[in-house]
This record gives sequence, structure tokens and C-alpha cells, in this order.
Amino acid sequence: MLARRLATFRREDTAAARPSGHVAQRSTAGNGRHRGTELANRLAAALDAEVVVTPQGSIVRIEAAARALPLDREALAHLPGQPPANVPLVCLDTETTGLATAAGTVAFLVGLGWWEDSRFRQVQLLLPDQPDEPALLDLLASMIPSHAWLVTYNGRGFDWPLLVARFRMARRDAPPHAGHLDLLATVRRLFRHRMADARLRTAEEALLGIARVDDVEGWEIPGRYLSFLRGGDPQPLVPVVQHNDRDVRSLACLLAHLADELGDHDRRRLAPDGDLLGLARTFQREGRLDEALQCLDMAVQRPLRPAASLRAAATPRPGATLGSAGAITSRPAVVPRPAVVPSAWLVDRTDDIRVAIAQRSQARLARLTRDQLARERARLLRRLGRRDEARLAWHALAGSSGPLAAVAYVELAKILEHVERDFPAALDAVTAADSLVAGSASVDAPLPGLHADLRRRRERLVRRAAGDTGRVPASLETPGRGPHAPAHALLNG
Amino acid sequence: MRRYAPATVEAVLEDLLGEPSLARGVVHHEVIPARPAAYAPLPAWLDPRIRTGLASRGIDQLYTHQADAIQEVRAGRDVVVVTPTASGKTLCYALPVLQAIADDPSSRALFLFPTKALGQDQVAEFGELARASGLVVNASTYDGDTPAPIRSAIRTAGQVVVTNPDMLHAAILPHHTKWFQLFEQLRVIVVDELHTYRGVFGSHVANVLRRLLRLCAHYGSHPVIVCCSATIGNPTELAATLTGRAPVLVDRNGAPSGERHLLLVDPPLLDPASGARGSAVTLAQRWALPFLRAGRQTIVFGRSRTAVELLLTGIRESLRDGAGPRSRVRGYRGGYLPTERRAIERGLRDGEVLGVVSTNALELGVDIGRLDAAVLAGYPGSIAATWQQIGRAGRRQGVSVAVLVASGSPVDQYVIHHPEFLLAGSPEEARLDPDNLHVLLAHVKAATFELPFAQGETFGSGPADDLLAFLEEEGHVRQAGDGRWYWSSENFPASAVSLRTAAQENVVIIDTTPDRPRVIGEVDLFAAQTLVHEDAIYLHESAQFHVDRLDWDERKAYVRRVDVDHYTQADRAVTLKPLDVFAEDAAPGGTRLHGEVMVASLATIYKKLKFVTNENLGWGRIHLPEIELQTTAYWLTVTEAGGWRRNELDAALVGAGRALQTVASVVLMVDPRDLGLVTQVRSPHHELPTVFLYDAVPGGVGLAERLYARHVDLITGAAALIRECECQGGCPACTGPRLEPELDVTGLALRLLAQLGAPLSVAAA
Repeated sequence: MLARRLATFRREDTAAARPSGHVAQRSTAGNGRHRGTELANRLAAALDAEVVVTPQGSIVRIEAAARALPLDREALAHLPGQPPANVPLVCLDTETTGLATAAGTVAFLVGLGWWEDSRFRQVQLLLPDQPDEPALLDLLASMIPSHAWLVTYNGRGFDWPLLVARFRMARRDAPPHAGHLDLLATVRRLFRHRMADARLRTAEEALLGIARVDDVEGWEIPGRYLSFLRGGDPQPLVPVVQHNDRDVRSLACLLAHLADELGDHDRRRLAPDGDLLGLARTFQREGRLDEALQCLDMAVQRPLRPAASLRAAATPRPGATLGSAGAITSRPAVVPRPAVVPSAWLVDRTDDIRVAIAQRSQARLARLTRDQLARERARLLRRLGRRDEARLAWHALAGSSGPLAAVAYVELAKILEHVERDFPAALDAVTAADSLVAGSASVDAPLPGLHADLRRRRERLVRRAAGDTGRVPASLETPGRGPHAPAHALLNG
Repeated sequence: MRRYAPATVEAVLEDLLGEPSLARGVVHHEVIPARPAAYAPLPAWLDPRIRTGLASRGIDQLYTHQADAIQEVRAGRDVVVVTPTASGKTLCYALPVLQAIADDPSSRALFLFPTKALGQDQVAEFGELARASGLVVNASTYDGDTPAPIRSAIRTAGQVVVTNPDMLHAAILPHHTKWFQLFEQLRVIVVDELHTYRGVFGSHVANVLRRLLRLCAHYGSHPVIVCCSATIGNPTELAATLTGRAPVLVDRNGAPSGERHLLLVDPPLLDPASGARGSAVTLAQRWALPFLRAGRQTIVFGRSRTAVELLLTGIRESLRDGAGPRSRVRGYRGGYLPTERRAIERGLRDGEVLGVVSTNALELGVDIGRLDAAVLAGYPGSIAATWQQIGRAGRRQGVSVAVLVASGSPVDQYVIHHPEFLLAGSPEEARLDPDNLHVLLAHVKAATFELPFAQGETFGSGPADDLLAFLEEEGHVRQAGDGRWYWSSENFPASAVSLRTAAQENVVIIDTTPDRPRVIGEVDLFAAQTLVHEDAIYLHESAQFHVDRLDWDERKAYVRRVDVDHYTQADRAVTLKPLDVFAEDAAPGGTRLHGEVMVASLATIYKKLKFVTNENLGWGRIHLPEIELQTTAYWLTVTEAGGWRRNELDAALVGAGRALQTVASVVLMVDPRDLGLVTQVRSPHHELPTVFLYDAVPGGVGLAERLYARHVDLITGAAALIRECECQGGCPACTGPRLEPELDVTGLALRLLAQLGAPLSVAAA
């Protein structure tokens, strides 16, 4: 009966209208069936690679020539969250048959890269057919030393759990390793402020100054592999292998970039304010407060310059020269990416207006970042117990009349009210903050809740000031006073 | 009788039976004597900690069915436990699971409940027993509401995972590698509320279990399956079909019960010519009110959401002039939000809620304690459901009363006048068809995604290779060089399949009356066509809402609170087209067939009907897209159509069709709503007069094939039903409501059935 119903179902199914393209793509049974070695040989021929035959199955192994890519491991190890200098690093990236890390998604291509002295070596393992997966897992496990750190991009959330699932499908444990550095997290913390998004390709462009040409789109990859399995042409997989190769190499270049740009105090002098802010916060997360303060001190002490000019002064980095001829182009790293500036609506404007607006936004952004640095520094000083310096830092920020001056006034008001119990002075600070907030409704700085906070403070201070001294604070008599006056008063007093 | 003094159940019943207008309608009064408990000792192997835990909860011996069940599970045999509502079935699986964990803390168990709410009740109960036993057991619900951080903890450390089939299907099985500890150590699978796994849902769940057991085999575990069911006709067969195993039946009920009165009540015949009877809803209120006024906890079941709201309104209004309990009567049905329902359940358990008016939503094992009286406004459609609903009344000691008030519908009338059908007849058999191709193929896809198929590997009834070959043509799977079938698509197949096709998509109902619009409920698409079309009056908690706008694409209905004197009732137009014939055979006067059909349902018009009098106040059109249903059907054609006038033939087909539908639902023991009827004077397919009875779920659950086999019984039974009816010229109980009074529908339908081979001898007598 089941067979009968299937026959009926089949008829109905064929009768139903469907796009002819879909029908054309159907392969007849048998067409897609090949011995594993046959598929492996076809792939190897197309990719100029070798076939590794094991009792578990065949694997196509692709190895490019090792290339010079010096990495200052000591410098890297000084950075927060980065691996110790003495452990092996294994860069890893996978290409898969889908996006779900569920049981039916296969990692059909695993790219690996590691350093042998100053040379970066890359090997890719490509699955010629689904039954050969145990061989791929075997080879992969043998290539990850147990004391090594994995280096990935979003590998914590995707690549590695997927591989763990593949090992689990084969009823075995995934290879142990000592640590996992997911560069997505690092890039987000340090560089996201100057990137439109945190994708690896965006990071390559923004940080390494390289743009890919003819790169295959991620969404095309599963389909290319699956149609190869169904008896298709191996040729469309060539760009997929190249794509994976570049992904792995980019991991290495990003590490080198980190070490070179931020690895020690001197190298950081040229880093953009935003990078330093991210770095300081990351140091703080690890409790390395002194190093965080060093970053902040350095940033606030240097003159305010647009990020672009700083980057122009930077020396060319290894990443920019690594591209294989034709595939990756190098371009000067001077192009600023006004990433935070919405640019879509600018498209129709003339270039002049675009540049003008972009420059103004750049300037405003630079100003905001500088204020954020100052605020971070003042908070850190307070956290370190250096109260006087913290207070001076808040004064400086308040006096700057920058985007975050109002925040600084609030902090000063807190100190004046709760530590020094000088309520009239605190009220003056609140008034100054008020007028700043009122005058800067459109400023970039997001100051959520500040309005309500100021109102509560004012009400409380008015009460306490009246109760304490009986005099009406001057600021209530002359509410029109400019924001700078109280700052001066406070500084002098 | 409008007395608001506390009284015993016996006293209230005596008063009711002393009221002639009510007593007249009682066609049967059955007294089911009290039953003492049958106990068995705790088995010797039971861990002392569990004994202590049981003792602390006042349990030092087991009911016989509990002892039987845990002994079988201990011996490694699958069981299906069949006992009435609230007979302590939880212990039947809680004890084996606790024992397994006491023996080896790495043991795991999986509890499946058809709904989230039931699972939450059970995990609480199980947790209490575990704590009382001093066992540290990590028992957690894993469902759509489980927060993400807790999910990963449950995956790795949850010893007892409580979930529902939908979650197992879409979230657990496709991610089995993250659950390997569960699959490797799975000792017990509990399938509670087995009787709910019927029809298309059951067919899906059977396949989900096939996938589950396949993964267990992969991970090397061999769990025992414990099924628990309410009383149904074929529990062993159902459990076997659902699980693919051969379970041992445990049905030696040892739970005690007090004396129970069952009254079958018929509303008065208002018009012998039309067969019209008084309203079951109105009569049910009259039977329920005295119990409420006497302070006895009472549940009233309505057959539809609308009936529930009408009952609730009526009962509340009748209680209004009396002091007190009005606010203690609540409504309960599918459209209410979960928090609202939990509060009502709690209120029933602690006595705060005195009365509840419910749809069959309270048939399931939701824990509401035991009540004094149950009043059923209309036959619930199946014997099993009837006993489930009646079972809500019945304390362990003391008297309880259940009243079944029939409606005028043919099946109700049949049941009420044949008490043996309810009391002695075996309850209906739950049907499911795990090999429904729509269902099966969807799950073969999901199974391949989860684990490649070996060549010749069976899935359910046989090797899956033919199905996989079909899926290979479709591009979902491929057979590799090693002969195994691998998933070869980017898609995630489980996400494309809902286990509850009927409720795949819901329309959310949004009340725009308050300043901040709020969601007050939801209905499935099919129901939405007739419940929340524009200008419908939608009833919720006995409040009326006018549907201002139905955004069909967004699945949102915007309603506004109103106070009007009418409600709305919508009609559907159903068209049917045969797609394929599975079997065809000559029958007297025609042909019988079964096969696949396409049914299209279109909501057409609605009527405004005045409360109480049902007077027609007007009508309007409904503009909604058609909903299509591909399913299986049984049909018959009439070859000799000569000598019929067209309008007479039409009336005869409809009349005979109605009778066939009634008889079919009785013969197959299914809810008549599970079978759809379509008649065609000249079928475009056969070019002959045709009557179709179709399975009302996508793909069908095997009803059509069985009707095909019982063709002769159907024709004979339909003729007998019409002949034995007391009406003149047709009534709702036999040939359906009379649409053209000048036609003798009874005679025409009988003439047609005779032509189809119905014996004439009885008619002559």
C-alpha cells in the first residue's frame, strides 16, 4: 500500500506546476553515485591537489607554499585576551553545507594555518564525498596539538561547535586544545567603532587595507558543493577553496596587525583614539588597570587629530603586501572609513557636499571619542582610588564643553554633594549640566536618562541647600548663566 | 429552587429529580456504585529512599495498576497504562524513573506531554516526590519558554527532560549531538495522554518517536517506553502504532471512587414535524445552576467556544440576582492566555473557583482536582471524551453527579437513546496513520538530516529506500558511493514541518478598546475563517467584541468591545475534486471508491442571530481566501440516474449523505466532525451523482479506506436510521434540516438508498 501511495504522490507531485529550472536541476538516480575515490580524483585534478587515501576514506589535501608572515608573539601576548607566547596557534576556518549547527550540516572544507618560525603554512582538507568524513576528522584531529590555541573568526559560535557535532556524529570526542581565540570578539572590542559591521571582509578592508576581488559570496558556497556531490563540475569549488584559503590567511594577518599596531606602548602612539579606548576597556575587563590607564593617558595627552591623519602616518603593515598577485589588491591605508556616519542617504549628493558632511561628521566623531576617553580615564582613576586626579579629570572634561561635558558636571555634582557636602556648588554643577543638555539636544552623544537624573538631583539639592544654609542658591536667581562659569568657580574654589 | 444554601450533592440531585419539567427529560439514570481501593504492597526492590519519600506523602502501598506498571517497567517491558482521570498514574512512571536514578545517577528519562502546560504540572509533581525521597534529581521542562542559558545546562545535565513532541521534533532531535548524554543514557521514555496522539498529530508524533528511537539506537541506548492513556478502545494498538513496539497493557484500576450518578437527558421535542428540540445549552444551565447555588464545585462542558461563552453568560446572569458565587464561575478554553488558565486551574484546586465552563481543553490531564458535578451540554463526539469529561466529577469518597444533555443532532440522539453505547460499548479506537505520505516523507527528510540512512534500513513499517529514492529525485538527499543516503540540501527540514497542521498558523486577536491594545487570544486559520471574519461578534470571557478588521496576511484580527443582543454564525462553502482513485469496485446501483481528493473551504456569509431566540437579524458576506485541504475520501456514485428530477435527486443525495455521515461516524466510532460531506448531483469527475465523505485532516488518517470496506453496512445503516426516525419528511436527526419543505426528503433518500442496495424488507414491515 505504501508503494501504491508513493506512486500516487509522485504523480500528483509531477503534475503540480513547478518552475522548469527546478526540474532541470534534478539529477536522475544513479547519476550522482560515484565511488569516493573518483570524486576525490576529479577534485584533486581541478584544484591541483593531492588525494590522501586512508582506511577511513579519501581526502583531498591542498597545500599552498608557505609564506613569510612574521608575528611578534611576545607583543601579541601582552595584549588582553591573546594567547601566551609559547603555545602553538592553529588558525581554523570551515566551509559548510548550511548555516545551522545541527546534525545535518557538514563541514566539507576545513582550512588550517600555523606558523613554522616566521613562515605561515596553510593546509586545507576537502571532503570529496560524505562517506569519507571519518578520514577528514582523523586528519583534522592529528593536526591540532592538545596544547595549541585555536584562532578563528566567529569560531566559538559556529565553526568549532559544528566540528564538535561532526565528531559527535562519528561517536568520538573532538580533539582537545588549550585555548580558543575568537578574533571576532577582539575585532568588535577594538575596531568596531570604525567599521560598518564586524564581518571578516570588512575587517580586512578597514584594518589590513586589502579588498578581495572575485570572492565567492558566502551564501553560494553550500550550493556549489552540493551540486558537485550530485555529479556536478568541480570547477565552481575552486573559488570556494580560494575563499577559505584567504579567510585563514586573514586570521594570521589580523594577529600580526594586532601585535604590530597595539603590541606595546610605542606602537600604540599611532593608534586611533577609538582603538585605544577599546583597548583600555579590554585591559580593564582583565583587571589590568595600570595598562588601561597608560592607554588612556597617552590618548588624552596627544593633540586631537582626525583619525585619518594618524593612520596615514602609520607604516605599511605586512597584511597589505600579502595578497597573491591579482587576487588581493593592496591599497593605501589612508582612506578613512566614516563607518559610523550613515552614508546611504548621501549617495545622490555631489562629491563636494559628501566630503564636507563626512568631514564634519568625522570631526564630531573624533571629538566624541576624545571625550569618551576622558570619561573612561576619570572613571578609571576613581576606581584606582586616585580621587584628586579623578576630580581634576572631570573638571577638564567639564570645561571642554565637548559632547560629554554634561556627564562630567554630573560626576562633579556627585562629588560636591556626597563627599564635600557643598550643596550650592553641587547645584551650580547641575545647572551647568542642564544648560548643556538643553543646548545640545541634537548632539551625537547618547545621554539616555540624563534629563530625569538631573531633575531628581536638582530637586534634592534645592531641598538640601535650603535646609543647610537657608540661602537661595545663586543659580536659581540667575538661571541664564553660561555653562562655563560654574566650572571656573569650581576650579578656583 | 432558587436556593443559595449549602447542600449535599444528594440533596441537590433529589431536588432536581423532584422537578417534573426536568425529570421528564431524563431518559436514563445510571448509578455506578462506589468502588473500594485495590492495593498492592510496595515492591521489595524499591529503593529505601523512595519508600521514605512516599511515606512522607502518606503512601505506604500502591494501587494495583501502579504496582503492575512498575513491575513491568522494572522487567524492561514497555507498558501502556489505561486508567480513568486522576487515578494516580503519575506514580506509574515516576517510580521507575526515580528507581533508575537511584540505581545510577547518570540515567536519563524523557517525558513527553502533548502541551507545555501539562509538562509543567508534571515536573512540579515529580520534583516534589524526588525531594521527599532525598534524591537530587535535575528535572526540567525544555520548551519554547525555557531561557537560553538554562537550555545548555539541561542539555548536559538534565536527568529528567520534560518536553512536548513539537520541541522534540524541532529543537532536540535535529541537534542530537548536543544532547548525546541524554541519548546515551536514556532509560525511560514517558508518553503521557496517549489518547491525544491521534489523527494527523498522532501520525506526526509516531514518526517523531521513530526518529527518537533511531537516534537512541545510534547512541547505544534501549529505553523502555511507558504510555499512559485515558480509556479508549484500542490502547494497545494505539501505543503499538505510535511507538512501533509491542507494549504490555496495564488496566487493573485500583483507585477507589465514590458513588456516581450518570443522567442522560433529552431536551423536549418542540415540533414533531421539524424534529426541533429545546436547546442543550439552555437545559444544561438549568441542571448546573442548583449545584452552584448549593456551593458544589461544578464543571460545565460546551462543545464549541461559542457554546462556552453562551453558557458562561447564561450562568452568570442567572446567578446575578443571588448573592455571591457569580464571580466564582469562570470560563476556560483554547483562546485564553496561559496565565489566565493557570489561575483558573489553581482556583479549582483550592476551591476558590466554584464553577468552570470549559471546552474540551479541560479533557486533558490538567490538574484541577476532583469536582462534585459535571454537566455536558451536548455529546462531546466520542465515548472516550465523554468519560474524560464525566471523570472530572467524582471524589474518592462521597457522591458525584454527571449529566449528559443531548442536543438535537443525530449522533447525540443516537447516543442518548442507546445508553448501552456509552455504558457497555467499548470506547472508540484512536486512529492514526504514521504512513500518511505527507507526514512520512517530511519525517524521512528530518531523519536523514539527523543521521544518514543505511541501505535497506527500515523506518517504520519497512525499508526507507523507495522513499529516499523519491527524495533524491527532489534533490533533498543523495545516495553516496557507500550505498548510504545522506542529507544533501542546505535546508533545515524540521523547521518546515508543524506537527499540528490544523493549527500551523494562528490568527492573533487584538483588543483595541483600551489605550494600549492587548492580545486577548488566538484562533487557528480554519476557525478564524468563521470566528473572526470582519464584522463578526467574537465572544471572549462572555464579553462581546466586534471584529473591526481582519488582516489575513499578518494573521491579526483587531476587535473592539461592544454590547449587542446578537451573535454571528458563518457558513462555509466546500468544493471537492478527486485527484486519484486508490480502489474502485462495482456496488449495487453504483460504484464505491476511495482515493485522494482536494477539498477547498471558503467562508461565504455570516448571519446575525439574536440571543436566546436565534431570530435571524441580517447577514453579510465574508471576503477571505479559500483554504485547501488535500486528503483521502470515500465516495460512491449512482449509475442509474434516470427517472429522477434534478431537485429531487439533489435533496435525496443530501439527505442520504447526512445519514451516511452519521452512520459512518458511529460505525468508525469517530467524531462526526472528523468526516466531511460533499454531494454532487453531477460530479465533473464521474459525470454521475456522487456522495463524498472525506477525512477532515490533510493527507487523511485512514478513515476513508475503512469506510470503503464497510460500504454495505453504511448503506444499510443509513436506510435504517432514516426509517426509524420519528419525524415526518426529514429532520436534523436523520436527513438533515429541511431546506425545501415541499419535498419529502425522507422518502427520496430512502428511494436512493434502496437503489444503492439497501434492503427493503424492514420498510415494508
